[in-house]
Amino acid sequence: MKLPALVNANLFHKLAGLFHDAGAGEWQARVTPARTGGYASRPAIQHDLDPALVWSAAILLLMGLVMVYSASIATAEGGRFTGHSQFFFLVRHAVFLSIGVIAGVMAFQVPMRSWQQAAPWLFMAGVVLLMVVLIPHVGKDVNGARRWLPLGPINLQPSELMKLFAVLYAADYTERKLADMGSVKRGFLPLAMVMVFVGGLLLREPDFGALVVIVTISMGILFLGGINVRLFGGLVLVLGISFVFMIWASPYRRERMFGFMDPWQDAYGKGYQLSHALIAFGRGEWFGVGLGGSVEKLFYLPEAHTDFLLAVIAEELGFVGVALVIGLFAVLVQRAFAIGRQALLLERIYSGLACRGVGVWIGVQSFINMGVNMGLLPTKGLTLPLMSFGGSGIVVNCVALGVLLRADWENRQLMRGVAV
Amino acid sequence: MKFTHTPLLSEKLPDWRARILLLFLMLAFLALAVRSIYLQGINNDFLQQKGASRYARVLELPATRGRITDRNGEPLAVSAPVKSIWAVPEYVEVTPAQERDLAAALDMDVRELARRLAIEKDFVFLKRQIPPQLADKVATMKLPGIYQQAEYRRFYPSAEVTAHLIGFTGADGEGQEGMELAFDRQLLGKAGSRWVIKDRRGHIVEDVQSIKPPRNGNDISLAMDSKIQYLAYAQLRDCVAEHKAKGAGIVVLDVKTGEVLALVNLPTYNPNNRERLSGAQLRNRAVTDTFEPGSTMKPFTIALGLESGKYRPDTIIQTGNGHLTIGKATVHDSHPGGAMSVSQVIQKSSNVGATRIALSLPPEDMWNNFESLGFGNPPKLGFPGEATGRVRPWKYWRPIEQATMSFGHGISVSLVQLARAYEVFARDGDMLPVSLRRMEGPAPAGKQVLSPETARQVRAMLELVVQPGGTATKAAIPGYRAAGKTGTAHKLDGGHYAENRYIASFVGFAPASDPRLIVAVMVDEPSAGKYYGGDVAAPVFSRVMAGALRTLGVAPDAPIKPLQYAVKVEDVKESM
Repeated sequence: MKLPALVNANLFHKLAGLFHDAGAGEWQARVTPARTGGYASRPAIQHDLDPALVWSAAILLLMGLVMVYSASIATAEGGRFTGHSQFFFLVRHAVFLSIGVIAGVMAFQVPMRSWQQAAPWLFMAGVVLLMVVLIPHVGKDVNGARRWLPLGPINLQPSELMKLFAVLYAADYTERKLADMGSVKRGFLPLAMVMVFVGGLLLREPDFGALVVIVTISMGILFLGGINVRLFGGLVLVLGISFVFMIWASPYRRERMFGFMDPWQDAYGKGYQLSHALIAFGRGEWFGVGLGGSVEKLFYLPEAHTDFLLAVIAEELGFVGVALVIGLFAVLVQRAFAIGRQALLLERIYSGLACRGVGVWIGVQSFINMGVNMGLLPTKGLTLPLMSFGGSGIVVNCVALGVLLRADWENRQLMRGVAV
Repeated sequence: MKFTHTPLLSEKLPDWRARILLLFLMLAFLALAVRSIYLQGINNDFLQQKGASRYARVLELPATRGRITDRNGEPLAVSAPVKSIWAVPEYVEVTPAQERDLAAALDMDVRELARRLAIEKDFVFLKRQIPPQLADKVATMKLPGIYQQAEYRRFYPSAEVTAHLIGFTGADGEGQEGMELAFDRQLLGKAGSRWVIKDRRGHIVEDVQSIKPPRNGNDISLAMDSKIQYLAYAQLRDCVAEHKAKGAGIVVLDVKTGEVLALVNLPTYNPNNRERLSGAQLRNRAVTDTFEPGSTMKPFTIALGLESGKYRPDTIIQTGNGHLTIGKATVHDSHPGGAMSVSQVIQKSSNVGATRIALSLPPEDMWNNFESLGFGNPPKLGFPGEATGRVRPWKYWRPIEQATMSFGHGISVSLVQLARAYEVFARDGDMLPVSLRRMEGPAPAGKQVLSPETARQVRAMLELVVQPGGTATKAAIPGYRAAGKTGTAHKLDGGHYAENRYIASFVGFAPASDPRLIVAVMVDEPSAGKYYGGDVAAPVFSRVMAGALRTLGVAPDAPIKPLQYAVKVEDVKESM
């Protein structure tokens, strides 16, 4: 590993390249005149980092910061625990965002090979944290869910970490077992059993949303890794049935289910949150009521700055704002898949699977969150990736972006003929 | 290098899987966009309506209730701005020390305050209608969750002096008694409204529509003159105390306009503090209660006799020994006078004399006379619950009834009706409607009931009543020529006349040369020994009339001479 050299020489140039679209000649002259040679004319490697990915992620993160502030002003000013400071959530979100960006840059320094080597250990560490959080008096209860580990001034949410670890580990597992993907016993069952165990831990918290995301990530990577189609089809069926069963078995989840089916049935009870989210959408119309103009955030819509941030975006920025967010997530997911494809073309299977795994994660979680906001899906405790308030979530999202950009950067280096 | 060129990958990691997965995700995003278009562009009316039903509210902007003033603009009922303190208990954050301060500022028990702050509601009144200064003090404490709202509280500066006439309003500002009720619509005004959006904690976020300003209520000027009202109140109060009466009433009318310059009832109450109110205190007897007036009715009988042409003031009437038997009943005079003139019948208040005159007249004429004088009809003051009194149809009169009615029994009237009827003598035979509100412009033309000549003749007779030899020498007023008639009647109790319970009354006017005021006094059950109208009611008349005439600056029409204490004239008591 030549880590220090990479940091010092290239990172800022890489970023700088995003902001002024340097011509090929200038770029060669300034950074790597000798090496780029024959690839210089190809648009794909004009930059060291994927511009569409960086831009979409940056806009989502900054928009998230603005909207978290807007959505949380009233709650922060009116709350006792915030000390009546309107900046309470803004300051915290900005701090987490900074930590996230730093963590992302650090993650970027780690070669994909090292990520692959570390993946099983990280996954195990994640499992341990998931167990620790369940220990009474160690894990912190909020609203009946024990999801947080208090670490001094901040709370760590192991289930958020686990999403990244699941991507890294499932990709590693799939690469190692590539030859056995046709076999249930050797290809599928080992990962399935591990995931059932993790799923069990997540249900104990409970964190149904994280369970859905992690299972989807694993399944997605297995599917991409070439698992038997028939087996996969059967599996999807089994999972579908078991999800339905889990929803039926738990009154808490069933209530949420019914609230989603018709929020107006019990609009002041079970459908309260969703009905207010839908009202926010209706009030926003095409262009929104204007930034800061939301009424729903004035104590009507619970969790306006976390799970229901999109509803506030919809009210204040209208369909235009919602479409922008959807579009940026679509771009981000598409870029993750494209980077994965490029990696596979370069025969870097782990990178390829991990990138697409990140794509599935961000895509599925953002879809579920937005679907919940719009009443397309039952209410779950899932945040909007990169945007919602939540320390662990933001930091882990940034690290995932760092990994994605690292894979991309390694692709580009390889295409230029540089070994990584 | 194409994807399919890598043999291992094309076999194990087929690219179609990634494409399908990506396609699914993109379709999911597309579904979100479509759903968003539906919610924000198509179904938005429904959703906005749902939203409005949750946080759009119509706020009422209270209109100030109009003032009630006396004829000179003196305020009698005003709406003072006050504040009500309320709380959203869920949002209240107070330290124990702050709670004590708040309780002290609101003059409440700390435990009571704590109890209210523990109520699980979104809205709790802590204290209603406190003075603005006190509310400002609470506001400076800046306690979260404690709010104020502006209200108006009705305040009656003259309190019990004008209580019955003005009445009062209920807790929500609606008129409940008296003028407050009678003129509620004019006083009320029209509340404005504000259509606003509120946040869940009740703060107004924005106005949805333009504000509809409130239209304040109209002020009302009463005919009442505060000085005369107070004078009447003070005299009547002293009289009730002196004679240990159960109640009393007085009405002062302006002869020229028909306006009610004063109207007092006792017992009264303080409308500003109505915690312990009894029905007896609330009754505006002068308007809503009737009584058998007794001899104050005699002048109407005499007037009718004069009008018939059968009698002149000096026509001699035989009253004999003061007994006249009609059927089974007998009419008595307390001072048998033998033969007396028509004038003397009034002066000495002879029941027999009045009966003889009445029985010589057709019952129909008498009934018509009562009718024209306003008896048996509401006086149309606009006051709630005005009594009409009772005059039975003449067709069913028996002779004894016609006889007793001639001296004011078997007929019931209210004090206001009685006072108004005396207009016919105070004016030259015509009558004006009475008015509780100040009249603007010239007085309306009166309705002629008697000929001016008859009116002047009776006026002269009524002057005799207050002069030595009459029944009400105590009604005399230094400097003015007064005229009037006493009344003393047994009270009716379950259809029978009570042996020793009386209503003493006096109705009169002054100055007799050009009458300006009518004062009617009624005292219910004087029980300190004296009970004759001439003893109980006449002195009140004298003092109130004297004060009122001076207040109005009416020129004296009699030489002021020292009262003739030395002359001993035997008291003449009227007959009952």
